[in-house]
Parts: sequence; structure tokens; C-alpha cells
Amino acid sequence: MKDIDKLQKRNRTYRDLTERLGSTGLAVSGLIGLLFLGVLVWQIAEPTFISGEEGEIPAASESIPVTDYILKWDFANVDSETGELTTEPIILRLTWEDGGGEQSHDLQVNIIEEKGVTKDVNITSDGLDSEIVEIGRKTKFYLYSNLEVIVEVEQISGPVPSADSNGYPVVDSFVVSGDIHILSDDDGELVFQPLELVGYAVLFLLIIVMTWPKVGALNALSSLQPYRRFIRPVFYTISGMTLAISQGMFVAAALGAVCWALSGVMLNRILEGMERLQNIGRELSETSRLKHSISNRDGLLMWSRMLFVTSTIFIPLLIDIPFLTERYQDIFVPYASGIRAAFFGTIWVMLIAMIVSIPISVGAAIYLEEYAKPNQMTKLIQALVTNLAGVPSIVFGMFGLAIFVKQGGIGWGLGPSVLAAGLTMGVMAMPIIVLAGQEALRSVPRSLRESAYGVGCTRWQVTKDHVLPSAMPGIMTGSILAMSRIMGEAAPLVVVGATAMILFDPEPLAALSGGNAEFTVIPIQIYFWTQEADPAWHSMAAAASIALICLLVAMNSIAIVLRQHFRRRLNS
Amino acid sequence: MSLISKIKGDKAGTVLFLMSFSVILITLGIIQTLLFESLTFFQEVASERGWFSLEFNAEGIFSTSSLAALVLIVCLVFEIASWKDESFISKIPNSMWFPNKYVVNTILVISVLQFIFIKGFLLNIAILFAVLIWRKISGVEMKRQFGGHLEFTNTWRNLLGLFVFISLFDAFTMNYGGAIGEFFLQTTWNPTGSNLSFGVNSLLLTTLQVAFGALIIAVPLGVGTAIYLSEYAHPRLVAIVKPTLEILAGIPSVVYGFFAFIYIGPLVVELGEYAFANGWIDEPPNVMNPINGAIVVGVMILPLIASMSEDALRAVPNELREGSLALGATKIETTFRVMIQASLSGIVASIILALSRAVGETMAVTLAVGTIAVFTSNMFVPAQTMTAYIAQRVGGDLPFGEIGYLTIFAVGLYLFVITLCLNLLGNKVLSAYREAY
Repeated sequence: MKDIDKLQKRNRTYRDLTERLGSTGLAVSGLIGLLFLGVLVWQIAEPTFISGEEGEIPAASESIPVTDYILKWDFANVDSETGELTTEPIILRLTWEDGGGEQSHDLQVNIIEEKGVTKDVNITSDGLDSEIVEIGRKTKFYLYSNLEVIVEVEQISGPVPSADSNGYPVVDSFVVSGDIHILSDDDGELVFQPLELVGYAVLFLLIIVMTWPKVGALNALSSLQPYRRFIRPVFYTISGMTLAISQGMFVAAALGAVCWALSGVMLNRILEGMERLQNIGRELSETSRLKHSISNRDGLLMWSRMLFVTSTIFIPLLIDIPFLTERYQDIFVPYASGIRAAFFGTIWVMLIAMIVSIPISVGAAIYLEEYAKPNQMTKLIQALVTNLAGVPSIVFGMFGLAIFVKQGGIGWGLGPSVLAAGLTMGVMAMPIIVLAGQEALRSVPRSLRESAYGVGCTRWQVTKDHVLPSAMPGIMTGSILAMSRIMGEAAPLVVVGATAMILFDPEPLAALSGGNAEFTVIPIQIYFWTQEADPAWHSMAAAASIALICLLVAMNSIAIVLRQHFRRRLNS
Repeated sequence: MSLISKIKGDKAGTVLFLMSFSVILITLGIIQTLLFESLTFFQEVASERGWFSLEFNAEGIFSTSSLAALVLIVCLVFEIASWKDESFISKIPNSMWFPNKYVVNTILVISVLQFIFIKGFLLNIAILFAVLIWRKISGVEMKRQFGGHLEFTNTWRNLLGLFVFISLFDAFTMNYGGAIGEFFLQTTWNPTGSNLSFGVNSLLLTTLQVAFGALIIAVPLGVGTAIYLSEYAHPRLVAIVKPTLEILAGIPSVVYGFFAFIYIGPLVVELGEYAFANGWIDEPPNVMNPINGAIVVGVMILPLIASMSEDALRAVPNELREGSLALGATKIETTFRVMIQASLSGIVASIILALSRAVGETMAVTLAVGTIAVFTSNMFVPAQTMTAYIAQRVGGDLPFGEIGYLTIFAVGLYLFVITLCLNLLGNKVLSAYREAY
């Protein structure tokens, strides 16, 4: 008896021990993922804090083609009172070779405190049209060249463009830094068109009215009741005007126009709902009924909130990140480089991929879920979709190389261009979107379809009017996630032929019109910068990584917002 | 939209069917591209070596390949004849279908001897087919005698026909298979310069080193995470760890490559220097090496394994867990003896799919492992995987149609076939477990 007790006791101790050790071990393995993420973020963020020393950055130097060149200094080097130089003079040496041999001209640039003062310099075969120019700080000036040859620009003395007021290079900072201006920029100029801002404000007010309908606001709106049929045409006209009078930023103007159009629709729907409410003899104070009598309130609110968040970035604010949107790559100076070309390349490639892949894959998903009979063909397509989603991305790149890039045979001969890259990426995204779309369509309750069939809808009507609207958020979430996945893919584009550096904005349709179709995207830029020997380039790769991750997080958060919205609606 | 809304009923179905048909077109496009360019590659290699001639070669009739073709044709004739007419089998004397064991042993000895002395690979396959068909038809004959019925499969005949075609092709075009043999059997990969050599095994070895190294890191961590999240963790902790894993899964591979290059590489070099000082490896370590790649790819596939295994564990019915606990098992015993057993196929599927992802990973591996193709077991020196070779080769300017351009398609086809097999296997296992619950 004693022995058995002992045995049980020992056994119990052993079991307790395994229990504790086992759960601790499992917890540790779960937390190692967190640890990896922490190390990863730290290791990527750390090199973007550059601690530079005096004179570490060599003088800026660049070969420019025949077009123009933008320069900008952040700090003045002319004392505003005495008019004397506080640092070494900034001298740019322009050299080029023409018929009469090598020519070399010096250009002195004085930076004064006052902003907005600028003077452009023209380069002709005789030389420069002025030897000394005075430029305001933080102001661009252009070198225009009408020569047929490449001009080499080299700064031979003075502070480089990113230097502080003492002439020391400003490198002891985060590479991806920027300024945020609210309503007006540094020079006091407005960053928006009045109409855009008004549209933005109207949208904001309508979102508030629609989300929390209050009697006072509704009474004020009801004075518009008699003019209800004019509302939409008027708003659409204003929206068109917003686009027409826009100058400068096209994105803000387009967003303003969409704000106006959506506001028109929302106002119309609210008035319609109020009318419906009054027709059945209810008061406006019964706001909970009003919420139900506005048709498609959920959908409108979702779109308008998304539009509101997006336009907050573009209409009243001016977010100025030179690394992302202003600087091209510099051949010699790492810290003066940026990813403007890669940024726009990414945007164009994504846009083309979206246009190509989303309609076709959503159609395929609808076919497979709603229409397909369970026969061999359907099974084959389903199996192919599942397996294509697991094919390595580089194989898609080779597909793109042979079909889109190559000339002759079955090749379309687009060359290494944005268009070919976008098509390749679209093909790659297709299986992912099809799978996500199928998942979304499958989660639509069976009863919805059956009740729609029950009132005599055809299959297409059921799909178009009942199944698709319910599945739309799921499909959109899947599409956005697929897009954010292919946004970070570099392998197919290496194969398709993205170039290491370009000094202009890529054109999306250059492959068809015969222009210069070279392009690059952010992951490719990171890839090439990582391969450089100089650690300074690694800092730039880290900065580009952070920019890319931020873009991905922005896209994913849109997807998460959509998913939350969808979940709430299914639950309610 | 108005255009589509005009389409009613079945017409919409047709349009949607055409959309989903594009998936088939894409797959065919990929396969056609890879296959066509790879065949061109093998032709080029053979002609470079002076092996390849498409003319009719009279000596080819007496080669082992033509002998193999002869055997295969006889097999095919038998197969088709027995399929068209069942009574054909019974016309042949029984002694031929059921010979004594000496005949079988003699055939075995012949096939072994001819493999050693003649090295006719195709002849071996032909004899294998002959034996298989013999066994199959004798089985049919036995069934017929005991009242069974005939069953034939198309796949079998297609395979046989394919081998007939290959051996005929091989017989009449001298040594075309040499290029394929060189590609699959040799270990020196040197696609540029004067001393050309196309043995893909050096690339394959590094790929497998990286992929299985990644599995060694990711499987314990990933499965452990999955078990912890589904069985132990407090919901609040799950709410932190799951999004973290999603973020880990969403980070682009080139960023992982950068991370490996600047952070993991130096750590591995320290380890390698210790090993070098002790004389365990015979070359000094480098920042780029397969261990580095294995670690970073392991981190990359960890979220995949964790989330798929967690799904599998959550799909197990609660009754199993409760039943085990009610019998007096502790939580850890329940986990390891019941839950893992029940969800094993889901976990295995996640591991297989993760392996396929690891094999196909490109940018991280290119930056972490290096660009020198070597065949060595020393994992501290730069090597090159298959994907990295493709990425590096197309990085420079490649003229279309040259042998350097064609190599990437041969390597790509091999890669495609490997990952396709893994995916097929993984999805099959996955659907098996989905059916179970």
C-alpha cells in the first residue's frame, strides 16, 4: 500500500513537471514570433537613423540629360542683414562636351532667407545666361539645357543640398522624414482649392447626419425637400467644376470631385428616406426608423467614410516626404537619393495589375461558386486555381518574360515596361483573388439565395442583386490583401526586367506609344541597394523598406476596416 | 455595367465561364513556355556537345533504345489487343501467363546485366513495362477464370505510349538524352565562360539545404505556436500574437532578404569562425551562406505553418478533447496524444505547403545565400539556389534565344515541377483532413 502511494506520488510529480514544462515550452515557441518581429523592426529601423560626421557626404554630382534639373537648399548661406556669405560659396561646375571640345562653367548659388525667390538658369552652347543667382531657401530652381549632349553637374564647394545652416551635412536624422502642412504650406500658399475643401466639409457633415441623425439637422435639411430632384444634377455639376478648375494636384481635385458626387447621392438618399418616413405618417424625431428607411445606408456610409479618410490625407493636408515623392536616385550620393521613380512605378504597376486581374478573377469566382455544374471541367479549373496560388512567383515572372516581354513566337513584344510588369503581376494575383472571392461568396447564407429564387429572380439577378452585394466586402478585402502581397514581390519583376535606376517618372503606356518604357518598383530598389558595397546604401535600403512596409500597412488597414464592417453587418 | 445587366441568364454564365477559363489558359501558357524553352535548351546543349542530330540514323535501329522501343511496342500491341477483345487473352496458352519462377529470375538477371553493361536506361523501363503488363494480364486471366471482369485505365496506356515515343525519338536522334542526363545527374553548374557545364544538382542541393533548414527552424516553432494559441493561450494573448504573425506573413520577402544580409549574416559568420577555428569546416565563412538563408526562410514560413496548423487544431471536435480530459489525462497528454493525432493530416499539409513555399522563395534567398553555384556540404560559404540563379541570371542583359537565356527555363521547369508536386500532395492531404471533420 505504501509503495503504491509512493508510486502515485512520484507519478503525479512527474506529470505536474511535464505539464508545466510543456506549457512553458509551447508559450515560448509562440512568443518567439513576437521576438523575431521585434528584432526585424529594430534592425530595419536602426540603420535609417544616420549619425553622420562632418564632411562625410561627398559633393553632389550628377549627369543630367538635356532636359532640366531641380535643386533645393534648406538653409540660407547669406546673412539677411549684412548680405555676406556665412559659409563657403556654393559653386556648381557644369561641364559638357560639344563640337568645340570640353566646356566648363561655374555657377555660384547664393541662398537667401526669403522664400519663393527663384531664378532659372539656361544652358546654351555659349555658356550660362547668368554666373551668380540668388535663390530663396527651400525653393526649387531649374537648370534648363537646350544642348544635345549630357551635362555633368558637380558641386565643387559649399554645403550640399541637405546641409544645415553651418554647412554641415544634415544626416544625423531619419531618412524618411517629412513635413506636414495644414491648409497652407511654408510659403503661405493654400494647399487646396476652395471647392475641394467645401466638398470635403459637406461630406463630413453628411456623414455625421447619417451616422447620428438628430432632429435639428433633419429639420434644417427638410427645407430642401421641394428641390430634391435638382440636388443630384447640381452636385454633379459642382463636382465637374471642381475637376475643371483644378490646377496642380490632380489627386486632390479628383478626390474633391468624388466627395461632391457622393455627397449628392447621400443627401438625395437622406431626403428620400425622410419623405418615405413622412408618407407612412411618422415623425422625423423617430430617428431609429429613419436609419432603416434610408436605402443602402450601410454601404453608403462605408464608402463615404473610406473616401473621407483618404481625402483627409490629400485635401486639407500637404504631406511632403521628399524621400518618397521628390528625390530621384542619385548615382553618387546615397543620402541625396529618393525613391520617387520607384514609388510611381509601384503605383502604376499595381494599378494595371488591379485593372487586369480583379474583374476577371471576380468573374471566375462567381462562375465557380454560383454557375458551375459539378463536372470534370469545374474540378479541373478548381484544382488549377488552388495549385496556381502555390506556384513560385519567379515562375510567373518567366511566364511574363516569355509572353509579354519577348518579341516573336507567342510573345507580345511589350519589352521590359510598366505594362508588361502590370500584366505579369495581374496574372500572379489572379488565383489569390479567385480563392478569396470564392471564400466570400461561400459565406453568403444559403437562405438569401433561396428567398431570391423564391420570388422568381433569374440566376443572374440573384447573383447580381443579392449575392454579390453581400459578398462584396469580402471580395474587396481579398483583393486588397492580394494586391498588398504582390506589391512586395520583387522576383517576377526582376525577371520581367525592372532597371536598377531611372531618373524620370515611369510612363504606364510607354510600351505602346514607343517612349522610354524603363521602370522600377520599391522592392527592386531595395534589392539593388542592398547589393551595393557601401553601407550608406544599406541605410537607403532600410528607409525604402520602411516606406514599403508603411504602404503595405496602410493597404492592409483598409482591408481590416472593411472586414470589421462586414463582420458587424453579418452579426447584426 | 449596363452592358452586363443586359445579358440575361445563361449568357452571363457563358461570359463568366470564359473568365474562369482564363485560369486554364494561364496554366497552359506557363507549362508551354517552360517546356518549349527547356526543350530548346536541351537541343542547344546537345548540339554544343556535338551530340544532336535529327536526321534518320541507320545505326540507331540497332541501339538499345530501338530495342526498348521494340519491347514497348510489343507491350502496347498486347495491351491494346487485350483491351479491344477480351477473348484474345484466353487464346494464348496458360503457360505463357503463368510461367515457372526460373523464367522470371532469368528476366531479372538479364535486366540487371544489361543495366550494368549496356547502360540502356530506356531498355530497363521497357523490361519493367513488359513485366508489369505480363503481371497485369495474368491477373486479369486469373480473374476471368474465377469470374472477374476486365478493367483498363487510360493513364497506363498513355504512359506506355509516351515511353514508346521517347525511345523511338532517342533511337533515331543520337544521344539526345545525354543533355538531359547531364542536367539531372551532374554536379557542376557553370553556364558561362568557356568550360560550360549544366549539372543542376549543385543548385538543387543548396535549395534543399535552405528549404529543409527552414523547416527545422519553422516546424517546432510554428506547430508549437499553433498548439499554444489553440489550447493554452488567453484570448487576450491570442489577440496580440495572431496579428503579429499576420504582419510577419505580410512583410515582403526582399525586406527579409535585407534583414538577413545585415543582421543574420554577421551572426552566422561568428558561429562559422568558431567552427573554422576548431577545424570543423575547411573554408572561412562568408556573410552569404545557406544557414543564413535557412534562418530567414524559416522565419518567413513560420506564420504559414502556425496559422494553418492552428486552423487544423481548431477544426478538431471538442468532444475528443473533453473525452480525453474526462478520462483523467492531463492537458499536455490530451494535446500530444489526442489533439495532434486527430489533426495530424492538417499539420502535415501545412508543413508540405510551407516546404513548397520555401523552395520557391526568391529574393530573400538571393540576398542571403549568394550567387556562386557550388556543390558542397559546407554550409558556411556562398552558394546558389535555383530561384536565386534565375534572378541573378536575368538581372544582366540577356539576349533572347542564347543558351544563358534558355538555362533559366530549364531550371524554372524543374522548380515548377517540384513545387507543383508538393502543392498537389499538400492539397490532397488537406482535403483529406477537411473531409474527416
